[in-house]
Amino acid sequence: VQVSKMNKDAQMRAAINQKLIETGERERLKELLRAKLIECGWKDQLKAHCKEVIKEKGLEHVTVDDLVAEITPKGRALVPDSVKKELLQRIRTFLAQHASL
Amino acid sequence: MKMEEMSLSGLDNSKLEAIAQEIYADLVEDSCLGFCFEVHRAVKCGYFFLDDTDPDSMKDFEIVDQPGLDIFGQVFNQWKSKECVCPNCSRSIAASRFAPHLEKCLGMGRNSSRIANRRIANSNNMNKSESDQEDNDDINDNDWSYGSEKKGLWYLPFQNPNSPRRSKSLKHKNGFSVCTSASNTLPLLFSSSGELSNSDPFKYNNSTGISYETLGPEELRSLLTTQCGVISEHTKKMCTRSLRCPQHTDEQRRAVRIYFLGPSAVLPEVESSLDNDSFDMTDSQALISRLQWDGSSDLSPSDSGSSKTSENQGWGLGTNSSESRKTKKKKSHLSLVGTASGLGSNKKKKPKPPAPPTPSIYDDIN
Repeated sequence: VQVSKMNKDAQMRAAINQKLIETGERERLKELLRAKLIECGWKDQLKAHCKEVIKEKGLEHVTVDDLVAEITPKGRALVPDSVKKELLQRIRTFLAQHASL
Repeated sequence: MKMEEMSLSGLDNSKLEAIAQEIYADLVEDSCLGFCFEVHRAVKCGYFFLDDTDPDSMKDFEIVDQPGLDIFGQVFNQWKSKECVCPNCSRSIAASRFAPHLEKCLGMGRNSSRIANRRIANSNNMNKSESDQEDNDDINDNDWSYGSEKKGLWYLPFQNPNSPRRSKSLKHKNGFSVCTSASNTLPLLFSSSGELSNSDPFKYNNSTGISYETLGPEELRSLLTTQCGVISEHTKKMCTRSLRCPQHTDEQRRAVRIYFLGPSAVLPEVESSLDNDSFDMTDSQALISRLQWDGSSDLSPSDSGSSKTSENQGWGLGTNSSESRKTKKKKSHLSLVGTASGLGSNKKKKPKPPAPPTPSIYDDIN
């Protein structure tokens, strides 16, 4: 018999995520992030990096996994600080609003 | 798990912060993944490298940053000084003036016929050639008024040539006003109501009339035989509508003709229509005095039931026609007067009927 062990933190996180999705805040945050990344040129930078990777690998042999493995770390690193700060701020605000729940 | 068991307030800030960071990381990961999928699809569909161009074409479309040129490298104002040849008159016209010129040249614009007609009228009068520019209206007007003045003021003995009413600002479409600024001997002959619509094909100076100052005696005579000719108060122009134009009455037309052509002038067409708005003061006064003994003003036009169409009935009939007038003028007492003069002008060749058999009618009505 497998007992799923979820400590309180995990439960907490799950509850918060659920709240995020229910209120639609997660979607809003995602859209905001996407817009900001395009604005700051993150997408273009990453695209240039992609082109290099693909040229390296050869156009025919590109797979999703390859791309994900190559691009995601770079993408995470390329996010400008201002965007990161703003997003974190919004998340904290959301958490504070729903603290009593 | 129940929501009541958990409360965020119990957490300390570090944990909250950790949670926030996790959420953020999740969001970024989502974006990256989304981007990867887009790229992968573009690669597999073959449009990933589509926006890359070779360096040579890139150089062709580089942004131009020189003074005097726009970013495409074109010169501003290049076409203003170019000249085109008009296919109609074969003249060389500046490019920016070409469209208006073509409009006038082909006679297809809104004002082209107006101006052309005016030019013809003016050149007939003065035997001068007009200048070609359309925006010399003002100058032309002043010329003509000057010229007419020099001819001995044949047209308007009592009008001040420098009157401010001669200015261009008076040209507007609607309304009638008293003509002169000096002695007003003919105020009543001009209609005082109604509006002329610009349906007349001969449009002079953006109004529907002709400026009689500029016409010679022969012109005037010929005009008066074909057109209404009544002078509008507001614009001081002669009405160019037909002799039966409803805006003006025969009295007015006759008066204008008498004024211009002498006391012997008659209206070229004798009308027997009942549509008459005019009333001569003298006539009306005579009639009013005749009617003085009739105190009742109950004789309103509403008694259409009792009216007979025979002309001898006078008041009954008069009320019919004056009823239409009443709607325009809304003065009941004028209906009597209008009736009287209506009768008078209805039968131009007969003398006015004697005091009609009012007692009998009153007997009927009362």
